[in-house]
Parts: sequence; C-alpha cells; structure tokens
Amino acid sequence: MKILLASALLLFSAWAWAQDDLGPQGPVVKMASAPVVTAVQGKPATVPLSFRVSSGYHINSNHPKSEFLIPTVLKIEATTDIVIGKTTYPEGQDLSFAFAPDEKLNVYTGDFNVDVLVRPLLSVQPGKYVVRGTLKYQACDNSACYPPKQLPVSFDVKIAKAPPAPRKNPAQSPHAH
Amino acid sequence: MKRNPLILFFIAAIVAAMLFAGVRMARKNRANGPTNGQLMGNLAPDFELQGLDGKSMKLSDFRGKAVLLNFWATYCEPCKIEIPWFVELQKEYGPQGFQIVGVAMDDASTEDIAKFAKEMGVNYPILLGKESVGQSYGGVSVLPISFFLDRDGKLIAREFGLQSRSVFVDHIKKALSQGQAVQAQK
Repeated sequence: MKILLASALLLFSAWAWAQDDLGPQGPVVKMASAPVVTAVQGKPATVPLSFRVSSGYHINSNHPKSEFLIPTVLKIEATTDIVIGKTTYPEGQDLSFAFAPDEKLNVYTGDFNVDVLVRPLLSVQPGKYVVRGTLKYQACDNSACYPPKQLPVSFDVKIAKAPPAPRKNPAQSPHAH
Repeated sequence: MKRNPLILFFIAAIVAAMLFAGVRMARKNRANGPTNGQLMGNLAPDFELQGLDGKSMKLSDFRGKAVLLNFWATYCEPCKIEIPWFVELQKEYGPQGFQIVGVAMDDASTEDIAKFAKEMGVNYPILLGKESVGQSYGGVSVLPISFFLDRDGKLIAREFGLQSRSVFVDHIKKALSQGQAVQAQK
C-alpha cells in the first residue's frame, strides 16, 4: 500500500512540476470565475465579468486610438432563452510605452471588468443557464506584439420565476359584505 | 492477476523520469528560440508570396543582394517604429545591393495593409504573409521578427521584437559583406 501511495505521489509531483514549468509563456488574459447572476424572467440583469492581463503586457482597449489596432471585443453567442443586451467595456488607460514614448495608446492592463446585460425571455423555464462567448484581444509588451487571441468565456445565469402580477381587485358587488 | 507493487513503483518512476526529460527538452528548445541551430548559417527557406500589387515574388529572386526579411503586422505598434528606419536604410544601403522585404502577417485586408504601407511611406516590397511561411522560419509567435540574409541567401542573424536602429545597421553591413554579389533578377 505504501509503495502504491509513493508511486502516486511521484507521478503527481512530476505532473505538477511539469505544469508549473511549462506554464503559460507570453501574454495571457484570464477570466475570473463569474458570479452566478440571478435574473427574473423578462427582467434585465447585469453580469460582471472580470479579466486579468498578465503582468508586463497590455491589450488594446475596446476603443484603441488607431484604426489599425485590434480592439478588445467580447462576443457572446446568441441563445434561444436569454436576450444578450449591451456589453459595457471599461475606459482604457492612456499609456506610453518604451517603443513609442511620445505616443499614448488606450489599453487595458492588470484587472479589468466587462459588464454584459442579459434579459431572460418571459417564457423561459426557471433554472440555471450557461452563456458562452469569446473575448478577442491582441497583446503587446514593451518591445513586441503577439497575434490576436480568443479567450473562451462562459458564465451562468440563474433564471428565477417572475412574481405573479398583482391582482386587480374585482369590482365590489353591491351585494358583497 | 496480482500486480507487484514494486513493478508499479518502477513504472511510475519511469513515467516521471520521461516527463522530467521531456519538459527539460521543451524548455531548452524554447529558450534557444525557434530557429537557433536550425536555420542560422543555412540557406533561408525560400517562399513565393503575393505582393500588394497582386504579383507573386520569391525570396530567391533577391539572391545576390543582402536581404532584411521583416515579419510585421498592421496592429503591431513596435513594427511602426521600425518601418521609418527601414525606409531610410533602404535608401541608404539599397545602392550597395541591400533589399528589405516586408511580410505582413495579419488578418487585415490587402487594402488596409496597402493603406498602412502608403501612410508609412514604405519603399520596399510588402508581401502578404502565410502561416506556412512563418512556420518555415520557426513560427511567428511574436512581432516584429527580422531575419538577415547575406548575398548568398544564407541566414546570418535574426532579431525578435523591437531593436535599436544601430543593431539593424550592424547586421545590414555584415550581410552586405558576406556572400557573392551577383546581378539580382529583380
């Protein structure tokens, strides 16, 4: 039994070391696990998505200053149960970089949030629904740029039943007491 | 069938050792860059790509000239810093048999690339890059990348990312001094 445990430990250690050593190289944008947002049938709700650009890199904001730069864009796949509304991007930071100290680029660095408006259809069944999409971004560091990438994005929306519409009191019967 | 735990441990040790060796090898290759020891000193991989004017061009068409092969993209801001230097260097060293060849490695339309090149006053051929060409040079995972070819078409240097102008000048002078000058076909 001890030998079996030692074998498992050895393999796990080697695997963990390999994971660490062959870790991500170059720019990486990661998404934090999104909170499960509860949305009521027929009512809009905002889903806040958090992203992190790895240290030493920047990505263009949603409104870069040049037409040739590739903006960061979140594209959400259409669903049959939930209407995807407006995506709100943060303002980028105007920063200069070593390769062009006199020029300012509008970029995201570190943590940034993107809000997605969702509205479940009135007819949709209450429950948890998965919404998927991709974040397209293009990153650079102080001396080089990297080809555009697409980060898979997904989040859960918990759809709750709409409260029953308030009943209008029926007209009082003249005979009611 | 009863398995001997010692054999299992032995197998686990072998698998762990293989994992260790594989990762070490991958790390070594990564540190050396994609082309180290594979392309340098050898003939640059030839290719044929379409230019902005629609005409195809081969790298080997420039045999006899020292060539700076520059992989770039319209979205690459550091590339924008280099291009004005390249325009000057083409003017300065072109008469001595130097030729810059730009390979645009982006998804932008030909019109956008042409517009960008016009705005930058590019005075050397711009070719529309293909993934396969990038792969033949070790992969274009970062931009800009510049390769320097001597007059015989041999790769003598490469630079990843933005470098100082003087680095380019040094490589160009070296490229011009090596190999045999012949009348280029184009």
